[in-house]
Amino acid sequence: MNYILHLLIMIGIYMILSYGLNLVVGFGGLLSLCHAVFYGIGAYACTLLMMKCGLPFLPAILLTILITGICALIVGFPALRFRGDSFVIVTLGFQMIVFTVLYNWVDLTRGPYGIPGIPRPVIAGYEFTTLPEYLIIVWTFLILIAVVLFIIYKSPFGLALKALRDNEMAAEGLGKSPVHLFLYAFVISGMTASVAGGLYATYVTYIDPTSFTLDESIFLLTVLLVGGTGNRIGPFVGTVFMILLPEALRFLGMPDAVAANARQMIYGLTLILLMFFRPQGIAGKYMVR
Amino acid sequence: MTLLLQLILNGIVNAAIYSLLAVGFGLVYRSLRFFYIAFGAVYIVASYAVFALANMAGLPLLVSIILGLLIGAISGVVMDKSVYLPLEKRSASTGVLFIASLGIYILVVNLVALFFGNEVKILSMGIEPSFSIGTLVVTRMQVVQFFVGWIVVIGFWFIIRKNNLMKGIWAMGETPDLVVVLGLPYKFMRMLVFALSSVFAGIASLLTALDVGIDPHVGMHALLTGAVAVLVGGVDVYRGWIGGAVLLAVLQSIAVWQFSARWNDLITFGILIITLLFRPQGLFSPKRRREER
Amino acid sequence: MRTEGLKIKNLSKAMNGLKIVDRVTATFLPGRITALVGPNGAGKTTLFHLITGELKPDMGEIFYRKKKIAGLPPYKVARNGIGRLFQDVRVFENLTVFENVASACYSERSETPWFPFLHIKGLRSFNRDIADRVMFWLEFGGLADLKDTPASSLSYGQQKILAITRIMAAGFSILLLDEPTAGLNPVMIKRVLNILKKIIKEDKSKTIVLVEHNMSVVTEVADWVYFMNEGRISFFGRTDHVLGDQEVREIYLGL
Repeated sequence: MNYILHLLIMIGIYMILSYGLNLVVGFGGLLSLCHAVFYGIGAYACTLLMMKCGLPFLPAILLTILITGICALIVGFPALRFRGDSFVIVTLGFQMIVFTVLYNWVDLTRGPYGIPGIPRPVIAGYEFTTLPEYLIIVWTFLILIAVVLFIIYKSPFGLALKALRDNEMAAEGLGKSPVHLFLYAFVISGMTASVAGGLYATYVTYIDPTSFTLDESIFLLTVLLVGGTGNRIGPFVGTVFMILLPEALRFLGMPDAVAANARQMIYGLTLILLMFFRPQGIAGKYMVR
Repeated sequence: MTLLLQLILNGIVNAAIYSLLAVGFGLVYRSLRFFYIAFGAVYIVASYAVFALANMAGLPLLVSIILGLLIGAISGVVMDKSVYLPLEKRSASTGVLFIASLGIYILVVNLVALFFGNEVKILSMGIEPSFSIGTLVVTRMQVVQFFVGWIVVIGFWFIIRKNNLMKGIWAMGETPDLVVVLGLPYKFMRMLVFALSSVFAGIASLLTALDVGIDPHVGMHALLTGAVAVLVGGVDVYRGWIGGAVLLAVLQSIAVWQFSARWNDLITFGILIITLLFRPQGLFSPKRRREER
Repeated sequence: MRTEGLKIKNLSKAMNGLKIVDRVTATFLPGRITALVGPNGAGKTTLFHLITGELKPDMGEIFYRKKKIAGLPPYKVARNGIGRLFQDVRVFENLTVFENVASACYSERSETPWFPFLHIKGLRSFNRDIADRVMFWLEFGGLADLKDTPASSLSYGQQKILAITRIMAAGFSILLLDEPTAGLNPVMIKRVLNILKKIIKEDKSKTIVLVEHNMSVVTEVADWVYFMNEGRISFFGRTDHVLGDQEVREIYLGL
């Protein structure tokens, strides 16, 4: 039972991440390889605000969103001058840079030692410690964020993003500013990831930089590409598929040492097969360019 | 001062390896115009092949190395024939190729890890003899790295300038259709690009692995080093690839001297982003890249 | 009197050492269809690129509504009321016909991510208004039946009509049309020309400029012609005048 609750919590966290990334990848059509950056900044900011500044959970999360939004602005402004391959490479560069900072700024992040003993969220005097309680808080945040994102997906802003994605020159010719619209999308995407980061940190109560590596960014992109981008169902399908797949392997009785590599191999193979047979993802409509 | 000189010396030796990586990555990126992540997978294949042949099957090292490079080259060509070429025939976009390439990388790395384990494998035993030049110390392996690396890279430079097929490969990156129109052997050239790229990756990989060993996950770093060198130096000129590699290696050495090796990635990718922002055609490329829209 | 409309003064652009557009001065007046004709490589499309901000001029100025617009980024030029039909139509392929037109109807303000959250109450009527406007323009272009079709599955001719409808729906007062009839069959050409005539007839404040190779199209719809050659305007005037000119007929039409 606990095992199932744990899975549901992880699915909740990853759904927040992929719905946010969807705005950039699916609507904006930009392959970003630095989503784990904002996930990580969110986790660290929330942790430090709670532990060093003694803020309660909710104010800490709100401030985390703000801080990560500013970081996303700083990263996005230069990165969004690029398209296609160059955008991928530049976001990858930022991913490597931020990881290096998290890893080596020992005074702030304790670097490779990580931060243990992160307090559980306390809201209105009630502490969320058990798994069912945690499930409730994660899914509440998920629903809130999903509602906000769905409204954005459906809004004129979402349509303008899709227009820019399909043909930037024509969309710009209709008065849409790529600089502004992509930047908004990038910042919103980063902000939502930071919430996932805060939830993750307080859930596992220990964080270190290795949770927010390039591999994690690649994984997040894979989740989205497998599920399908540019709509509401894709991120859900992708997350469920990618989180449950390794668990299925465990049930097949594969030893843990092998399972980790076997799981990764399946991810890799899935990506290749997807590009051959369904480049738009399992439940997607829009095909990656 | 001695320390700085020593670090610069190390930098020049590293530059040889970085140049190999840059040429390996650049060949594919320049002629086929997609971000070849699986280069990181090809990189580890050669070393693991040598490890299997020499350390496990007990073949002589030199024979193993030759076979290892061959296996690496074949793996590169097989990847192309099985994935990229069929995708290209469906006129897949660069994004699709990039993701498929990422898939190959993940698949191969973990396949290797499944067979050989995730830990570091040592290819050569014993302590490396070293020489001293004045106050500076050089290991035998560094001497090998320096000479092999630079001879291969500079030798290839001459081949590129003289050989017509190589000129054809160079033209392929600008006008792919032209190659077909001119009746050049497109498929063969493609095969050659992947085989050569793999050999460069293999040489770089072996030079490193014989020194410090190898684990399945170093491929990503090798790929990124090569890619950054090419992009910083300039995609369209061979001397840019080399220039980028040398610049990267020397700057990293200086960074080690000033700060510590832990900040190397910050330097590498900082240079990359700054270059792309302010000189997108690369530092050593004279002409501006075409306006892409 | 003639301060309205789009004025170009001494506009020049060189690329790779070649003067593509060379000190072009022209005025495009509202209520008129002006054709820009000339051989391939005369610089017509480049001139459009310069007006819409895709390229920055080396020198010269563009005035519109007494504002200098040369060198502005394309989206700002568009917000000043200058719209463009691209030679290679450029519809939004993954969007439906309806969405293609809708994307042109939204104001800059409504395209901010926070807009729906600030207007929760009025959102329903806002959406209805937009839908009405979209339908109006779809009827105008004769595309109403296709409204839920993805733009990528339209025929080339339909895509051109969609692209024209889109810039109409955006409410631009200056329409720069790059070869609106190229690649179309006679029936579609007729449809496009009828739309253009309708635009000018219904709204005298619209300015239409078209690049056109088909001389019968030019004689049919254009009131005014600029003849471009090697980056310069070599002749201009009323259509019948210019096309009647012996020299033009020799150089360009080979008559």
